[in-house]
Amino acid sequence: MEGIMDKSSYRLLQLLSLAWLACRPTCSSIATYGTIIPQSPLVEIGKEFTATCVLYKAAKATAEDIFWMLKNVTVPKEQYTKINDSAVSVTITITNETANWLFCKKKGSPSSLNLIQVIHGIILTKGYPPEKPMNLSCMAVQSGRRISSNVTCTWQPGTRDERLKTTYTLFGNLIVSNKSSNAHRSSGYIDFGTFPSFMELAMWVEVENKLGKVRSDILDIYASDLVKTNPPSDVNIISENNFSRTILVSWKHPIHVTYVTLKYNIRFCTVGSGEWTEVPPNDTESYKESFRLQYLKPDTEYVVQVRCMHHMGNGYWSDWSANTTARTPEDKPTSKPDLWRVVIPSQVKSERRVQVMCKDPVESNGRIRGYSIKIQDGNWETVAVNDSDLDSRSQERKIIPLYQIPWSDKRRGLIELKAWNSVGESPQASLVIPKLTEEPPSVESLSWFTQEGRLWVKWQPPNVIATGEPYRSEVTEYVLECVSVSDGAMDWQREHRHTRTAAIKGNLQKFIRYNISVYPMYSGWTGKPLTIAAFLEQGAPLEGPSVKVRRRGKNYAELEWMEIPLDKQRGFITNYTIFFITGGKEHSIVVSTDTYSYTVKRMASNSKYVVRVMASTVQGSTNSSDLSFNTLMYTPGQIEVIVVSVCISFLFSVVLTVLCIYKMDSIKKKIWPPVPDPSNSTIAKWSPDFPSKADTPKESALGDVSIAEVDVFDRKSLCEEDKAGLPLKKDKYLSEEHSSGIGGSSCLSSPHQSVSDSDEGGDEGQTTASTVQYSSVVASCGYKGQTPCPLPQSGSSQMPSFARSESTQPLLDSEEHPEGPGSHQRYLRNPYFGRLPGRNDSHSGDLEDLNQMEMKKQGLASRQFCPLEEDFQQTTPTEECQSPDGQPGSDPSYMPQLSGYRPQC
Amino acid sequence: MSGHVKNMYPQLSISQAARTLLSLLLVAAIDSVNAGVACRNQQCRSPIQRSSKLTRLIHMESVDLLKIYKASQGDMSELFCQMPNDIVPDPNISGLDPSERMLSIYSHCKAFLPHLKRVTEQQRDLQPPSSPLLNNLTTAQYRTSGLANQINCIYQTLFPNLPIPLEPVDGRTSIYPSQNVFQQKVYGCVVLKNFKELLSQITHELRTIKNQMCKSRTFAYTNALF
Repeated sequence: MEGIMDKSSYRLLQLLSLAWLACRPTCSSIATYGTIIPQSPLVEIGKEFTATCVLYKAAKATAEDIFWMLKNVTVPKEQYTKINDSAVSVTITITNETANWLFCKKKGSPSSLNLIQVIHGIILTKGYPPEKPMNLSCMAVQSGRRISSNVTCTWQPGTRDERLKTTYTLFGNLIVSNKSSNAHRSSGYIDFGTFPSFMELAMWVEVENKLGKVRSDILDIYASDLVKTNPPSDVNIISENNFSRTILVSWKHPIHVTYVTLKYNIRFCTVGSGEWTEVPPNDTESYKESFRLQYLKPDTEYVVQVRCMHHMGNGYWSDWSANTTARTPEDKPTSKPDLWRVVIPSQVKSERRVQVMCKDPVESNGRIRGYSIKIQDGNWETVAVNDSDLDSRSQERKIIPLYQIPWSDKRRGLIELKAWNSVGESPQASLVIPKLTEEPPSVESLSWFTQEGRLWVKWQPPNVIATGEPYRSEVTEYVLECVSVSDGAMDWQREHRHTRTAAIKGNLQKFIRYNISVYPMYSGWTGKPLTIAAFLEQGAPLEGPSVKVRRRGKNYAELEWMEIPLDKQRGFITNYTIFFITGGKEHSIVVSTDTYSYTVKRMASNSKYVVRVMASTVQGSTNSSDLSFNTLMYTPGQIEVIVVSVCISFLFSVVLTVLCIYKMDSIKKKIWPPVPDPSNSTIAKWSPDFPSKADTPKESALGDVSIAEVDVFDRKSLCEEDKAGLPLKKDKYLSEEHSSGIGGSSCLSSPHQSVSDSDEGGDEGQTTASTVQYSSVVASCGYKGQTPCPLPQSGSSQMPSFARSESTQPLLDSEEHPEGPGSHQRYLRNPYFGRLPGRNDSHSGDLEDLNQMEMKKQGLASRQFCPLEEDFQQTTPTEECQSPDGQPGSDPSYMPQLSGYRPQC
Repeated sequence: MSGHVKNMYPQLSISQAARTLLSLLLVAAIDSVNAGVACRNQQCRSPIQRSSKLTRLIHMESVDLLKIYKASQGDMSELFCQMPNDIVPDPNISGLDPSERMLSIYSHCKAFLPHLKRVTEQQRDLQPPSSPLLNNLTTAQYRTSGLANQINCIYQTLFPNLPIPLEPVDGRTSIYPSQNVFQQKVYGCVVLKNFKELLSQITHELRTIKNQMCKSRTFAYTNALF
C-alpha cells in the first residue's frame, strides 16, 4: 500500500511538474501560493501604499518566509507588518523612482529547484491626483451683429506631469440652464445656443482622473463682461482746410447698443513714426461716433486707429481698427529756419569764404518753397527751392546751401534769413559773422565719449568776463558741428545754453572719424570753435601702412611708411609695431604713433629680411604687406677701398714691369756680369775655317751658341727667321729665365743639342761643322725649373761655371749618352724626337762614325738659333731645345771635350 | 422685518442658538418658496438696470422677430396679425404699487413663455430648419426666461417678505385648442405682437420702478427690510 502511494505520489508530482513547466510562460501557477491585496492598484506619488500578501496552504510557508521585492530590490523587513501566520503586509512610500512591480516572495525549501519562489506580483500604476486649474477667464466675441453664443475659456493647468488619463470639463451655469462640454488641457468653450446677454453666469472647470477630481474657482460673472466686440467699423478722417491743426475722426458702432454700450479709444501718429499718441480715455468714454483730434501739426499725414469695449470697462478691448490716414492742411512756418555758415579758408590773404546754409524750420508747417536772405545792408534776395531739392514729407531736415561769398577777415556782417511756404513766411533768423580778430571765445574744454551706441560730447562753457565787446557776454546757445572726415558730410545741431553734454544726432557710422566742433553762440554771434576728433566705434585699421626701405646698409635698414589715410584708420592709431624676420626668427619693435620712419640696427650683413609694420588701435591691429630685402655685404666705403687698392696694386705692377723692361740692361748687368764674347776674340780670326770678318756678326752670334730650331712640320728652322731678333731675345731669356750661359740662352748651354741639331741639318751645314765651337754653362741646378743635374765630374763646385770646348771633333758616343738609353726615356714627349733613340740602339756600332760624319756636316746647321717664341717659354728648355734624340743637354757629356779637339780660340 | 425682530429680542429672551436656528429655518422657507432661482446680487440699481437692458434687447429682437415672422408667413401676413385671438395673454402690466407691477411683469413673462414655445413648435413644422425665424423664436424664449428669473430676483430683493405665487397670475396657457395652419399663423403673429407690446411696457415699468425704488441705497435698504 505504501509502495502504491509512493508510486502514485511520484506520478502526480511528475505530472504537476510537467504541467507547471508546460504552462509556466502563460499560466500564473504562482498564484496558487497566495495573492496580494489590492490587485493592480493606482498609487499616488508621494503617498504611502500598503499591500498585503496572503499565503495559501499550497505555499507551504509561513509569514516568516515571506519577503517583498520592488522589481529586483528587496524591501527592508522594517516595512513589513505581520498580520497573522499567513499574511504579511508591506508599506512603501511611492516616489517617481519606485519600481512598477511589487512582488511577494517566499524562501523555497532546500530541496526545491528554486530557492526563492514568487507568490504573487502586482503592478503599481503611479500618478498624481489632478491639480486645480487656476486663472480661469472667459470671452465671447462678436459674431455678425450679435455676440457669439460660444463662450471660450482659458485657464492654467497644473504643472505636474499627468501620468494618468485626465479629463477637463468646462461648466457654464445660467439661471435658466446649465451647460458643460469637454475641454482641452488649458482651454475650452461652451455653446449656450444664445449668448446670455445681461444674465449672470457661473463658469468653472473640473479636472478628473482616477485619483480624484478637482474643480477650479467658480467664475461668477455677468455675461456682458465677457464680450469682446469687433473694432469700430467705417473709420474715417476728415481734414478741413481752415483747420490746419485738427482732423475729425468718425466711425460706426460695431454692435447695437442694446447688446453692449461701448466706449472708445483713439490713437494716432504721424506716418512712419510708429509712436502712437492716445486720446485721453475720458474724452471718448461716451457712446459716440466721432471725435475731433486737436493740436496736430499742419501738413502732416496722420494715421488713426479706434477700438472699443464695454462702457463700464468690463470685458475686453476690441482689436484696433485698420489704419486710416489723412493729411492736415498747410500753415505758415511758425519757427525760424536753422541758419548756419561754414568758413572756408581762402588762398587770398586776409580773406575767407563763407558758405551760408540752412535747414528748414522745425515747424515748417508745409513744404518750404523758398528762402529770402539779406546780407548786411543789402537787399532781400530770394532763393527758390526746387521740388527735387527738398521733400518736406521726409522726417530728415536736409541742408540747403544758399550762398558762398568772399568775406574779408576785417569784415563784420549780419546775415538774415526767412523761409516761406504756400501760406506765409517764417520768423526771421539771423547770424553775425564777426571780424577775425573779434571772434568771441571758445568753450574751455571739449571731450567725447560713447554711451548706449551714441556719440556724446562734453564741454565746459567759455570763461567770459569781458564786457563792452560788440557781442553780449553770455552764451545764448551752442552749435555742435559734426563733419565726417571720410566724405566731408557735415551737420549741425543746436543745444541749450545750459547744456554741457549732448549726444550727436544724425546717423553716425561706425569706424568713421568725425571732427566735432562746438561753437558758443552769443546772441547770433558765432564764437571760436573748439574741435575734437571722435569715433562712434573704433575698429582695427582697414589696411596696414605702406612700408618701403629708405636706406639699407650692412647692418642696418631704415624703414619708412606713410600714415594710413584717415578714412581707413577706423580708430586712433595707438602705436606702430615693426616686425622683422630673418632666419625664421621674428623680432618686433614698438614705436609711437607719430613715427613714420625707423632705422633697424644690428642686422646681419648680407641677409634676407622680411619686414612688416603693424598699425594698432584700441580695437585691433592690421599688418602691412611683407617687404623683403637683403642687407649689404659691404659697407659702401669698403667697396671703394677695395677697388682703389686693387687699382693701385695693378698700377704698381704695371709701373714695375715697365721699369724692369726699360732697365733690363742694367738689371741684367747686375745679375749677369758681362762675359767676353769669344767670337770677337782674336783667336776666332785665327781659325783657318773661320769665316771672314765680314761675316762676323752672323757667325759671332752663332759661334758661341750652337742652337738649332726645327720646325716639326716643315722642318724649317725657326732660328733662321729669328736671326735678326736674336740679340733682343737673348736679353729676354736672360732677364726672365735667369738662365746662365754664354749668349744668355739655355740653348747655348747644351752642346748635345747642338750635336743633335747638326744631326738634322748635317747635310746642309757640313762645310762649317769643323768650325763649331762648343760651350756650356754648367749649372748646379736644373734649368728653368728642371731637376738639378749635378756635374758628375765637377761636383766640388755648385756655382755655375762656364766651360768652353775648342774641339771640332765629333763627340764620342759614350760622351753623348753618358746616361745610357734610360735618359732618352725621360724626355720622350716629342714624337718627332722619339724615334731617334731606337735608331741609335740599332746602329750602335756605326754610330760613332756616323756621328763623326754628321758632326762634320754640322758646321752650317748647328749655327741656326733656337726659337724664342713665347710658347716655348712655357715648356722646359730641354724640351724646346733638346736634340732630336730627346736627350737633354747634359753637362757631363761635354766634360771630356774640355781637353780634347782643337782649340777654338 | 429685521427691525421688527430686533425689537422683539428683549421680549422673547430666547437663547442665541434658538435664534440662529430660527433664522436658518426662515431662510430655508424663503428658498423653498423661490425654488430654482438663485439670486446673487442683493443690490438694487444694477439688477434693475441689467433687467432693463435685457428687456430692451428682447424688445429690439422682438421687433425684428415680428418682421421676420411676417416675412416668413407669405401673403396675407398683415391680415393674420390683425385678427383677434383670445388665448394670447394681454400684454398690459397691472398693479397699483411697484410690488404688484413687478409681480405682474414676472407673471407676464412666465405667461408668454408657453405661447412662445408653442409658436416655435408650430413654426418648426411650417418653416425650413434653417429659417432664422426658428432661431429667433428660441432666442426669445431663452431671453424671456432669463428676464423672468431676473425679475424674480429683483422682486425678492426689493420685496423679500412678499411671496411670489408658484403659478403665473394669468394661468390661461394650460389649455391649447388644436389649430389649423391658418390659425397657427394668426396665433403666432398675435403672440409675437403682444410679446413685443409686453416688452415695451416692461421697459417702461422697469424704468419707473428703478426711479422709484433705487433713488438711494437707504431707500432700497429700507425696502429690503420690509
